[in-house]
Parts: sequence; C-alpha cells; structure tokens
Amino acid sequence: MTFVILFLLAASLWAATKKIDYTWRWNRVPQYFLYKAETFEEIPFDGRILSISSVHGDSTVAYENESGEKFSIVVETDSLRVTEGEDLFDGDSIGSNSEWKAGPLTMGMLMTLWLSAAASFFGLIIGLVTGLCRVSKNYTLRSLSIFYVEVIRGTPLLVQIFIFYFFLGTVLDISRVVAGVSALAIFAGAYVAEIIRAGIQSVPKGQTEAARSLGMSATQNMIYIVMPQALKRVLPPLAGQFISLIKDSSLVSVIAITDLTKSGREVITSTFATFEIWFTVALLYLLLTSVLSQLIAWVERRLAVSD
Amino acid sequence: MIKTIDLKKTFTGRGQTVYAVDGVTASVSPGEVVVIIGPSGSGKSTFLRCLNGLETFTSGHIVIDGVDLADRKTDLNKVRCEVGMVFQQFNLFPHKKVIENIVLAQMTVRKRDRQEAEEKARMLLEKVGIAEKEQEYPSRLSGGQQQRVAIARALAMDPKIMLFDEPTSALDPEMVGEVLDVMKNLAREGMTMVVVTHEMGFAREVADRVLFMDQGKLVEEGTPEHFFTAPREERTKLFLKQVL
Repeated sequence: MTFVILFLLAASLWAATKKIDYTWRWNRVPQYFLYKAETFEEIPFDGRILSISSVHGDSTVAYENESGEKFSIVVETDSLRVTEGEDLFDGDSIGSNSEWKAGPLTMGMLMTLWLSAAASFFGLIIGLVTGLCRVSKNYTLRSLSIFYVEVIRGTPLLVQIFIFYFFLGTVLDISRVVAGVSALAIFAGAYVAEIIRAGIQSVPKGQTEAARSLGMSATQNMIYIVMPQALKRVLPPLAGQFISLIKDSSLVSVIAITDLTKSGREVITSTFATFEIWFTVALLYLLLTSVLSQLIAWVERRLAVSD
Repeated sequence: MIKTIDLKKTFTGRGQTVYAVDGVTASVSPGEVVVIIGPSGSGKSTFLRCLNGLETFTSGHIVIDGVDLADRKTDLNKVRCEVGMVFQQFNLFPHKKVIENIVLAQMTVRKRDRQEAEEKARMLLEKVGIAEKEQEYPSRLSGGQQQRVAIARALAMDPKIMLFDEPTSALDPEMVGEVLDVMKNLAREGMTMVVVTHEMGFAREVADRVLFMDQGKLVEEGTPEHFFTAPREERTKLFLKQVL
C-alpha cells in the first residue's frame, strides 16, 4: 500500500513537470560529482622530438633542446600531438594527462560533513559541560547555564550565524569557517545541554545513594554510575539533535561557506538544471543523515545488552 | 560503635515542619544486632539514613567509631566506607555486570587492584550463594538474588557496620527467606548490624536488641524477649497487637 501511494505521488509529480515543459537533464548531474581534469604538457623551449615509446596507453616522449641536452616526459597516448623527429617551438603542446577530480557537489558534501562533524563534536562537549552545570549545586553555574540555553534557544540560528560572522568575526578576526562551526556548535550545545540534563535527572536517586553509601565521591558517582546510564538513555534524542545539526548546517551557506547547499546553488547557475540539482542535494543530505542514524542505532543495540 | 545523641531531623515544606526524627538517643555496641521496628512514617528509615550521612540531620550528634558526623570537618566518604548499606530497592548498577557491581567501589574507593577485587567479589558471591551469576546483568536476576548481590557489594568494602533499610520489603514472599538467611549468617559472624524491618520473626530470632520508634521518637527499647512478651508502653502493645 505504501509503495502504491508513493508511486502515485511520484507519477503525479512527473505529470506536473510535463505540463510546465521542463526538460529533465539528469545526465548533466554526474560530472559535478567527479570529472576528468586535463593538464597539458608543453615544451618549455624550442627543440626536437627524438623518440616516442608507448606502454599501456602511456607514451614516453624523449626530446632535446638546441644545445643537445636530452629530456623526457610521459603523456597519455590518446592525447599525443607530436611525431618522432618533429621540430617544436617554445610552448607547443606535446600531449596531455588527465586525472579524476572531485566535482563541486562532492566537495560541498565533504564540507558539510566536516562542518557538522566539527560542530557536533564541540556541541557535545559544550552540551555536556552546560548540562552538568545545569544540575550543579552552585547557583552561579546553574543560572549562567540557564541563561545560555534560553538565549540560544530563543533566537533563530540564521541570526546567530550572522552575529557570529559579522560581529564576532570582525571583532575577534576569525575566519568564516571558524565562525560557522562555532555558531553551529554553540547552537547545538544549548539543545544537547537540555538533553543531558534530562538524562541525568532520569537516573533514579537510589543509584546515587548506593554509590555514595559505598564511599564514592560525587565526581566518581557522576563518572561511573550516573553518566553511563544517562548517556544510554539520551542516545535517541541526541541522535535527533545531531541529525538536525547536519540539516541546519545548510544555513552557513549564507556566509559564503561552500557547503553542499551553496555548491548546489553554484552548479545551478552553470547548468540551469534547477530541479535535478536540488533533488540531488536533498538526497545527499538524506544519505548523510541516514548513515548517522544507522550508526547510532547500532550503538544503541550494543548498549542494550544490560536491559 | 554507633552513638546518637538527641538526634533531630526536620523537613519543612508547605509551611509545615515535620519532625522525622525527634530527639533519638541510642547506641550500638560492636558485634551487636539492633533491629528497629515501628509503623510507617515513624522515622526509622530516616534515622538509618542519617547514620551514614545520606540524610543530613538538623541537630544532635552521631558518633561512629569515634568520629562525629556533626563535625563539618568529617570526611563523609571515609565514614561511608566503614558503614555499608543495603536498600529496599537493591539499587544495583544496571549497566554493570554482577561482578563489576562488586568490584567497582573496591577499585575506585579502596584502591585495590582488579585481581584482588575480583577475588574478593567471587568469595562474597560464594558466601551469599550466587557464585554462578557473576557474569549476568542485574536485570536478569530475581529480586532475592539482586538483594544478595547488594549485600555482597556492601560487604566488599569490609565495613565495620552494616545498615539494612527494609531489605525484604520489595521482595516476593518466597524470596524473603534466602535474604534473611544471608543476614542471619552475617549476624552469627559477629557483624555489627542495624536493621529496619517488618520481619518480626527475624527480629525475635537474630536481634540482640529491639528499638521501637513512633512519630520520630524512640518509644521503647529492650531485648526481643522483653519486647515481644512484656512490652511496657501502650503504643508498643498496640503496634504489636496489629502486626503479630
């Protein structure tokens, strides 16, 4: 049934695009993932080709300059433009070598991955520290962490990114990537802190009492007893938070960080394949997030042995 | 070994002040088994929890092995090493295997190495009769087995005193016996024990002395013989008539 409904949905979308005369050009998309880059080999002086020997599609070209010094160079046989005994002038091309290079979509995806990984890592640390402060007995630590959480949760991420880039970026002279990562990390940290706090408070009081009655200090209790149980419980909401973080990282494209979203926009300006590229970009985000959720599901299963 | 002098613990909430423990003066000598009984809400558990500092008290003194808990310089963690506690709800660490439950505090608090701690843990599991369960997680054990692990965990710290807070109240009736047997053995070996319980049979058989508490006050104390056959106070007589 599910498949039938999804199929009908896709079919109606297809019919709708037919109606507006859109020509789908999916064949234009792959080259933005991976393309062959050609580099031309030129002769740096006037000279003469001595010999050419070909092995496995590559040719070794030997040549000499006017004073008789000998050189050699390797190019791909298909691209060979010279023959033996030919006289060449400075700057003439001998042939070319090509290699596979990552296209803008791949680079953008790597950037998004890197941004989200860095922001998740720092966000988790900020969240852990803030979460612990939130349940601390110290009034100053507690109220400061509440203030931080309320300010960050109460303002839009887009505005925070602008503040980080235009205000802090200028005042502290930090680069756009650093500004982007810190904005994301501090944003995520506020939510992680609340999740961690909920986790700590969900561990029964009896656990702390048992640990303390065995002579463990408050710190040992936190490290060995409360935290392991709390982290296990908060894994599902934490996963949700990090998945949102991957998606929210698309907002840093507004400060000209070339992440997946911005690369998508750039590719569209040169292909006009608007629909295809946005669908592709969406799929790539889906790929990143589903890998993460599978990873966390796996960790969850491993931790479930003690249930 | 334990001495409390005019111990008071009050809770304030909603404008009311509740005297959970109201001027209890009592003492426990080394090797003695003291059973505290009384109706619910009489402050027996609160009194017991004050003895190892899980509950702070409002006024009075608790002297354990010569150390006054009312003294602010007292290191409570050190006192707690010497005072083991067993809870009504077992409170085993669910994320650790049985053996790890017993090894953890030995290593972190007593600074024993793993091998020594594991040997001690196995010896104690043998003693409480569940040596074969050492690699299980607590959730796979029955209530009675969990409580015996909890006793082994407390004993692993080599405490001088053991406190039991209604250790059999959360157990199915058929499992009460196995836990009481472990406690009886412990008493016979000369462990100093303070037990809050509703098991009158245990009190009669094992206790050296019985304390009866009501509304935070120590109403009556005496040997089980005296207590169960010829109580002096009216309140005690009424309570015994209801439970026996």
